[in-house]
Amino acid sequence: MAMQTDNIYVLPGDEIDPAHIPSHPKHPLRLGPGLRHVPPSDLFPTIAGQLVTDRRKNMIWVESNGGRYIPAVGDLVIGSIHHSAADFFYVTLSDYTSNATLPQLAFEMASKKNRPQLHSGDLVYARVSLANRHMDPELECVSPSTGKAEGLGPLSEGMLYSISLGMARRLLMRKSAEEGKVVVLDELGSAGLAFETAVGRNGKMWVNSKDMKTVLVVGRAVTETDEKSLTVDQQKKLVRKLVKEMA
Amino acid sequence: MTTTTTSEPEALLSHLHSADGSATFSYAGYTIVGAVNGPIEAQRRDELPEEALVDVVVRPAAGVGGTRERHLEGLLQSTLRQIILVTNFPRALIQITLQVTVAPENEYVNTKVIQANTNLPILPALIQTAILTLMSAAIPLTATLTSVVIAAIAEEGSTREIINPTVREVEKSCSLHVFAFTSHGDLILTQSEGEFTMKEWEDVLASAQRHCCPSTSGDVNMSDDLASGADFGTFTRSVLEAKIASDLYWK
Repeated sequence: MAMQTDNIYVLPGDEIDPAHIPSHPKHPLRLGPGLRHVPPSDLFPTIAGQLVTDRRKNMIWVESNGGRYIPAVGDLVIGSIHHSAADFFYVTLSDYTSNATLPQLAFEMASKKNRPQLHSGDLVYARVSLANRHMDPELECVSPSTGKAEGLGPLSEGMLYSISLGMARRLLMRKSAEEGKVVVLDELGSAGLAFETAVGRNGKMWVNSKDMKTVLVVGRAVTETDEKSLTVDQQKKLVRKLVKEMA
Repeated sequence: MTTTTTSEPEALLSHLHSADGSATFSYAGYTIVGAVNGPIEAQRRDELPEEALVDVVVRPAAGVGGTRERHLEGLLQSTLRQIILVTNFPRALIQITLQVTVAPENEYVNTKVIQANTNLPILPALIQTAILTLMSAAIPLTATLTSVVIAAIAEEGSTREIINPTVREVEKSCSLHVFAFTSHGDLILTQSEGEFTMKEWEDVLASAQRHCCPSTSGDVNMSDDLASGADFGTFTRSVLEAKIASDLYWK
């Protein structure tokens, strides 16, 4: 995907070498997170991170790991219900931020008569449908075009783990093993454990399984990979160790 | 003639788990732990409709904060909100807590203890900690800052400038100046106390500029003693590059 010559690190306010900015005859230049456009044509990084460009799609962004989750449209997030009102659920995406709203009818097959009963503390897997700095974010648990849930909706049972935003992004990559260099989940699966996970872009991971031991092993493997920055080989070793301990 | 106290700056990034961003910075006898939380929900009565509220809390090494800390908070707040992109987060709060853990030891002269009776010498360390912490929390900024404190001492008719003076030298100085510059080379903060003429202030400003932004000030004179002081710009860059590289080890 991302084409890369070598690692370019930027600090806020640095000048970006025009040679690093992709130019494409057809597509307009798309700016990802961490960049600021100062009209007419200046481009400045706003966070410290690694400059990544994709010349094929004509995109440029700054990759970093830290910070608090800031909602963006289309992100898949795991929220916990704070309280519910007549038409909305109020959902917490991260601590101490204002709640996101989730309309009670934004679920698959929901109608005035038949709407999900969610209580304070319940978890939902949702997509951010509106994110705007002047308004609280809005969520949905249904695809607006097909009316299907597509895997979104209330998450019952299971356990919630906090992971770093970078780890969440790696797990959500389409090819997380090749591009994100994270193989713990694949390894745990091929070791014969049966579990399901949901990863929220807001730094949350939900794990469920019939066997409580499996839930704990999966959660521990992923948080340890995240905290100790394990490489692919170390992840495989960790999984072997955890599975052995479990048996 | 100029002299500097030599001590290498040190920093540790993102070491506090429950804060969004954190840094510990040690330099010139000061060690400061900084933590940033934000953007978070501001209290209704504090929130600003068009921009984020920047809240700076300075805690001293011993005891509870007083007027001295409130003064420093005021200076830091007005400096930092100019480089934080506050309009990106209307109605939110960005909270910056700076805890001084080590302050330079007092020196004894003729069995009498010399205590810093001025607020200014700690400012560069506070500013540097705040910048590192904000970058650790990935708060969008327009630029980074570098700052310096300079004491001017009158000697035989001429004035001698000392970068990062000791408590003793501050006591002897006739004027004390703090400057902060953005990474674009713009002066963003200036605080002075004591007696000085406009000419002296301009001279001190010129040496501060040479010290803080060596590349933008035009005449680069590396043989100058001023260049031997710690270059915060290069330091910040190397610390963050190491941090980013370890965060993105999988790339």
